[in-house]
Amino acid sequence: MKNEASPSTNIQTATAGKRWSAASYGGLLAVLALWPVFYRSTYLMHVLILCFIYVLASVSLRTITVSGQFPLAHGAFMGIGAYIAGMASKWLGWPGWITIPGGALGAMIIGVIIGYPFARLRALYYAMGSLFFGIGVLNFIAAFGKYTGGYSGLMGIHPIFVGSKMPYYYFFLGLTFVSALALYRFEFSRIGDNWKAIAQSHLVASSVGINEGFYRIFAVGVGCFFAGLAGAGYAHYNLVISSSSFSFLATLWLVMYVLVGGIDSFGGPIVGTFILFLVPEMVRDLKYYSPFVSVAVLVLVVYLVPKGLVGLPRLLWPNAGGQRTTGKED
Amino acid sequence: MGQAVATISNIVILSSMYILVALGFAFLFNMLGLLNLAHGAIYMIGAYIAFILIAALGFPFWASLVLATVVVALLGVLLERICFRPFVGDFNRSVMICVALTVLFQTMVNIMAGAKTLALPPIARGVLRFGPVSLSYERIITFVIGFVLLVAFVLFVNKTKWGQQMQAIAQNTDGASLQGISVHKISALASALGCGLAALAGCLMGAFLGIGPFMGDQMLVKALILVILAGIGSIGGIFLAGLLMGALNAVLPLVTNGAASEAVAVAVVVVLLLIRPKGFFGHEA
Repeated sequence: MKNEASPSTNIQTATAGKRWSAASYGGLLAVLALWPVFYRSTYLMHVLILCFIYVLASVSLRTITVSGQFPLAHGAFMGIGAYIAGMASKWLGWPGWITIPGGALGAMIIGVIIGYPFARLRALYYAMGSLFFGIGVLNFIAAFGKYTGGYSGLMGIHPIFVGSKMPYYYFFLGLTFVSALALYRFEFSRIGDNWKAIAQSHLVASSVGINEGFYRIFAVGVGCFFAGLAGAGYAHYNLVISSSSFSFLATLWLVMYVLVGGIDSFGGPIVGTFILFLVPEMVRDLKYYSPFVSVAVLVLVVYLVPKGLVGLPRLLWPNAGGQRTTGKED
Repeated sequence: MGQAVATISNIVILSSMYILVALGFAFLFNMLGLLNLAHGAIYMIGAYIAFILIAALGFPFWASLVLATVVVALLGVLLERICFRPFVGDFNRSVMICVALTVLFQTMVNIMAGAKTLALPPIARGVLRFGPVSLSYERIITFVIGFVLLVAFVLFVNKTKWGQQMQAIAQNTDGASLQGISVHKISALASALGCGLAALAGCLMGAFLGIGPFMGDQMLVKALILVILAGIGSIGGIFLAGLLMGALNAVLPLVTNGAASEAVAVAVVVVLLLIRPKGFFGHEA
């Protein structure tokens, strides 16, 4: 008999995908695009660039979870994209506009190849399989030290912009925005409906003719493409990459960004990344104590808003936004 | 010959340490369905408590070992009550709280002791020689402790009433509580045992390899691998999986360079998982 507390049925993946209005996204974009006009801070630009990269990675991770799979190798796929782009840039001298999509494509291809045998694993077992794969990939990369720079890292990647950070900033802002738009369109399309159907009940979905294997692999491919894109972008920004930045820890933090922000909402990972990444940066002066702030955020979310920080406004202002007409209890 | 003996002793010691940590992890996993991502941090905290006792308070090694284990076992009871039990069915929240715990412990240690690798004094000095073979006393004692604990553990789980209650809860929680087994009390006991074992392993491995705030990360991955390979609900499987991991980790570095050996070990695990995702011995077969 099945143990009630068995974990294999209880991983909660993204449900119906609540939407923010276009206005809120537009407002956010406007703020992000316009503040450099009024305030000069290279440091803030740098932090936001990294934030955009992680937003891209975490939103794409969440997209995979829409299909009912919980991938724990996302950091590794960022790494794959980063190393492909970095090695192509360093050893072959290819320019950024080839290497970055190349890195994304490479990550997608590997994701699909790996996704194929893993697609038949359910819930927890898929998570574990992808976890071990991610770890293995990093070690694999580090093992080929001659080409990849081993544990000490790959240096000498060519930058895509020289001079200030400003072109980088707008590049990543644009890249993240366009990618997020694409992912949003995926999620709220027929493809996304199929994903959600599989996530809710793969048996019923199969019985109405949805090809479960195809859509699961498709989701992984899409997610890994954008993860690779984020990684390749990072390589061309940071100019130095090492396998330790894409370890399981990195994946775990991406998962944290998604969970803390709210896995049910498309904007959740965006909020989660901003809060969990920016807040520790802002309290950097606390030095060794700054991780405590992250801990506080995590504890706050766990106990107060378990569905994620996107639920916070509802918690604070429960009567705002009018009443529902359907009469359903919230 | 000397190389072979050294390798075998490595295999045996690594295996027993992995198994010790994995057993504690498996307990929580089987009984509460909880993936305790903080187990690595608990392993690490045990080592650091021993370090504080030895270095700052001057306790002898043995007393520190025992004390650290007991303290962490009590901590395990507390954690079970506050952090594990409320989130039993909820994967997302339990992952978040475990990560929060890990970061909390690691930051505390980082603040108090810094990120450098520190050394615990060895358990015993000197080397035992017979013929062409020499083994350090440290290894022998570590192995003996590990072995005794493992045997005691197996006896506990199979022969005592508490152990059988734990097995019952792992197999079917509702059925067990209908039989009058107090799931909460037994879970607290399991948590205490599991965390105590992890702390003990932390002290022993720390004496070998030195301690650092992030030593638990790798160990957590190994424990995860063992538990998944063995399958949910299987204790015996963990022993076998532990032997396999110990063997891989001791033998592969001799054949290939460091990173490749890790990669091969993980590749083996991935292949095994694809063959049989539910683990080789678990209940969900």
